[in-house]
Parts: sequence; structure tokens; C-alpha cells
Amino acid sequence: MISARDISKVFNAGRPNEFTALHGLSLDVQMHETTILKGPSGSGKTTLLGLIGCMARPSTGRIFLNEREITSLPERFLTEIRRSTFGFIFQQFNLIKGISALENVMFPAYPTGEKFSTLRKRALETLEMFDLGKRAEARIEWLSGGEAQRVAIARALINKPMIIIADEPTAHLDTKLSHEFMGIMSDLKARGTTIILASHDPIVYDSDLADRVVEMRDGHVVDGGTGP
Amino acid sequence: MAIVIERHRHIIDYTLSSLLRRKGKNGALLLVYTMIVFILASVLFFTHALKREAALVLKDAPEIIVQHTLTGRYQTIPVAWGDRIGKINGVIAVRPRLWGYHYDTLLLANYTLMVPAENPPEPGSIDLGSGISRTHGANSGDMIAFVGHDGVPRMFTIRNILDSESQLLTSDLILLSEKDYRDFSGIAPDQATDLTLRVRNPREYATIAEKITRMYPDTRPIMRSEIQRTYDAVFGWRSGLMIVIFSAAALAFVIFAWDKATGLSAEERKEIGILKAIGWETSDILLMKFWEGTAISLTAFLLGIIFAYAHVFFTSSALFAPVLKGWSTLYPTFRLTPFIEFGQVATLFFLTGVPYTITTIVPSWRAATIDPDSVMR
Repeated sequence: MISARDISKVFNAGRPNEFTALHGLSLDVQMHETTILKGPSGSGKTTLLGLIGCMARPSTGRIFLNEREITSLPERFLTEIRRSTFGFIFQQFNLIKGISALENVMFPAYPTGEKFSTLRKRALETLEMFDLGKRAEARIEWLSGGEAQRVAIARALINKPMIIIADEPTAHLDTKLSHEFMGIMSDLKARGTTIILASHDPIVYDSDLADRVVEMRDGHVVDGGTGP
Repeated sequence: MAIVIERHRHIIDYTLSSLLRRKGKNGALLLVYTMIVFILASVLFFTHALKREAALVLKDAPEIIVQHTLTGRYQTIPVAWGDRIGKINGVIAVRPRLWGYHYDTLLLANYTLMVPAENPPEPGSIDLGSGISRTHGANSGDMIAFVGHDGVPRMFTIRNILDSESQLLTSDLILLSEKDYRDFSGIAPDQATDLTLRVRNPREYATIAEKITRMYPDTRPIMRSEIQRTYDAVFGWRSGLMIVIFSAAALAFVIFAWDKATGLSAEERKEIGILKAIGWETSDILLMKFWEGTAISLTAFLLGIIFAYAHVFFTSSALFAPVLKGWSTLYPTFRLTPFIEFGQVATLFFLTGVPYTITTIVPSWRAATIDPDSVMR
């Protein structure tokens, strides 16, 4: 389980543009379930995802991953957790242009020092899973929006993460592609992956996929925070 | 261990593909960098090779040369003076030398004529420097004519073509007999160009020079160490010319490195953010930037050194020669003996490659230490 306890996040602390994104928020996320963070822009969803995914530290409060306190860990350990535990799907995809889809899928695993041939084989299999085997050598900028989205998902899965974190994954997709994305997430869930999605798209938060919907507003959880 | 090597391999792989993605920018960097290394290496190679040629010339030079001056101007010296000078304590031998220059109006070239101490050619024959032989197309056994001091041409048979370790030494040289030289130049039989002295104890050079000046106030004794010092002053690291060229190249390098240090583009920052977000550590990013700096600096360094080598030793420093050789433009042209000292190359690398690599790491370190969640916003 992931537990966030009384976490706050203040940006630009002590400066005139100081801004508090989260206010003493508590949240429990069960493993092997799909949790959806729902709320308008500026409600703190992305900030919360960043804190859960070890991308930043809360200003106050603590976060536990399977009862291990992770907030006070040094940067190196946070990176290791981020790499081995989480797979990220970003709103803008954040794929690296100028290189192939295959390389984009492979490079999260580069620092692990895994054998190149093994890694390449696994990356190709992951791309095959999303019907992108033939597009493996294509450059990112040559891919369609749907294909780029699937490459981003393949990249998130390359290190076999326990938890997938996706921030507004359907924001740049049309309805058909959005449904396709939710289908992929259902498959992952069926394989036991924990999924945390942040979205204000009804296709996401009204879907059958959601085990729990947490509603957020102005940096507070207004519904569905802790407990079943 | 295998994991560490594989990790480096992956990161080098990524670095190379990343360099290729920014072909324009990195190509321009490589070009500027190569040019700077080329200039610095050319200057280094050229001056060191010249100094080495000079050292070869001076290796067998006499310890002291005595010249005769008249109101400060150089003129021939009476051979008889050598007898008195030879009696000074510490002087082993005195030898009058006959040598001078000859301007060839046909080929616009300046030659050095000399009567050798050992094995002089028979009257009527000469030994010819390889440069003159090349420009005249003349070889052993051929006849060649030079116009003497009275405007009358003299015919000579070529005995040998001179070749030596240093082309500077022999390229423009003509060796001939004393009789031919006196006839050719018009120097009186009791006169010589200068006197050379052999002195056993180097600590006595200054004393002997002083005694000669006292004996003949209108002479100028020149010590070998003084000639060596002059070469060092002109072509050494600390000479004015070197400092000017080095300063200009170093300034260009500083501007170039500064641009690199402050010039991490928004795209590069974003890329670093993405890499961190998906699990690259700060050390991985720095390693990538280290390899990037190393790839560019090593390539530029090697290219610069190769071009400089070709420039100095194959084209006789076509770009620098007119400036560096200054007043003493030598005809016919000579080629410097290829010579590279490991120390120079290492110094050059530490002056260019290392600072460049550091300047590529510093801005990335600043970017790599930011929170990776910046890419989410």
C-alpha cells in the first residue's frame, strides 16, 4: 500500500510567488487496484502524483511505500525506487525526438547495465504487445498521436514496474484513442499492476477500471481519501 | 564489473545518438574546437621542430666564433689573428672559416657557400644541397654554373648531393674548395670570413671571449650558448610571438567554452528532466555529459593534431611560415623534420580537452540536480 500522511507541498517557499499546492493531505492507495485522482486544473493532482512517484519531496508530511518511509531517503535511493517501482506516462508523452521508438523504450533501463541484447529483445516484445513491432525503428516524430502514446506506455513498462502513474493521459487523445488507452490499462490491471491516474476526463474517471476515485480541489482531498 | 561496462556502453550509445541528433550545433562546435587545436598544435609543432633543427645545427657548432667588425659592421678577419688567439690558455684549436651567401638571380634564391673543414671537394667540383639540387634539377656528375663576384660565371662539376638529418642544415648549402671559394667571392688570401675556436672547459668561455676582445677590440666573440639562447627567445614558449598567438587562441577557447558553459538549451534541459524522471540518476546524466565532452574534445583534438601535423610537416607551415620565419625567409624551401614530443601533445590536451569536458559537465550538473517533477508541469 502507498500511504500519504498529512503531506503539504509549497513551491517557491519564502518568495513573493510562494504557492501551496497541497494542504496537509492524507491518502491511501491499495496495491493491484486502480486509483483515479479527479479534479479540475490546479487541484494538486499532478503534484500529488509527483510526490507519490518519488519525483519530489513533500514540504511536510510523510509517504510510505509498502510501510517503508520514503520521504527522507537520499536522492540516489529515490531514483532507484522511481526506476524499479514506477512507470510514468506523462501528459505530453515526453518522448525524446530524433531517436527511434525502440531506443525511447529502452533508455529507462540503460542505467541498470542490463545486457544490450536482452534489453533490446524485451523492448521489442513490449512494443509488439502494443502492435508497434513494425514501427520500432521509426523515429518518434514520424509516429501518429496514438502510436506515440503506446510507445510512452511501452517505455513505462520496460523496467517491469509494480505501479503505473499516468498524468492526464487522455488530454491529447481523441475519444477513440482515449478508449483504446483505457483498454490497455485494463489489460495491465488484469496482470496485477497497480495503476494511479490523474484526470479530469470523464472517460477516465467514469470507467469501469476505477476501483477508487479520489476527488481533489484546491490541494485538498474532498472525497475518497483514506479507507475503502 | 560486466554491469558497469554495460552501463557505460549504454550511456555512450545514448550520448552518440544524442550528438548525432544535434548535427548542426555539434558540427559547429567540432569545427571551432578543431580549428583552435589546429592553431595551437601548429604553433607548437612548428616552433619545436625549428628549435630542434637549430639544436641539430648547433650540435657540431664551434664553442666560440670570432668575427671582425668595423664601426659595428661585420667584415672579413685577417687569418693571422688566429695565431695570437690560439695562444690564449684554454683554446685548443683555431680555424679560419670561409663561407658566405650567394644570390641566384635566376631562381630568386639565396644559397650558402662554405669551404668544409674536412674532405673538401677538388677545385672545379662542388657538393650541392638537396634543395638547390631539386630546384635546378641537377644531380651528381652534372655541370652547374654560378655567377661569381665579378659577374663572370664559373662552371662546377657536382661531386655529391648533400642529405642530412636536418634539411635546414644542408638544403641551401654549396660546399666548395678554398681555391674556388676565394676565386668566386673575391676574398683576399690572407682574409677569412670568421675564426672558430675549440675550447675544452665551458667555464672558460667567458674569460677567453674577454681576452680576445681585449686583444682585438674590433672583434666580436659569439658563444654557442648565446646562439642557443637567441633561438629559445624567438621560438620558446615564453617568447613574445608565442604569447601573442597563444593568447589569441586561448581567448577564443575561453569564449567558446563559456558559451558552452552557459548554453544549455531548453530542449536539452527538458531532455535531462525526462531522463531523470524515468530513472536516470544525477551521476548517469553527468556520465553522459562527460562522454559527450570526451567524444567532442577527443575527436576535435585528434583532428586538430592530424591537420596541424600535415600543415607543419607536409606543407612546411604554409599558413604560418611567412609570419614565424620573419626576415629570414629561406630559399630554396626546406621541409622540417617531423618531430613530436609526447609532453607537448599532453600539455595541449590538458589545456583544451580537460577544460572543455568540465565546461560541458557544469551546466548539466545544475540541470541534473533539479527535481525531475519539473517535466510533469
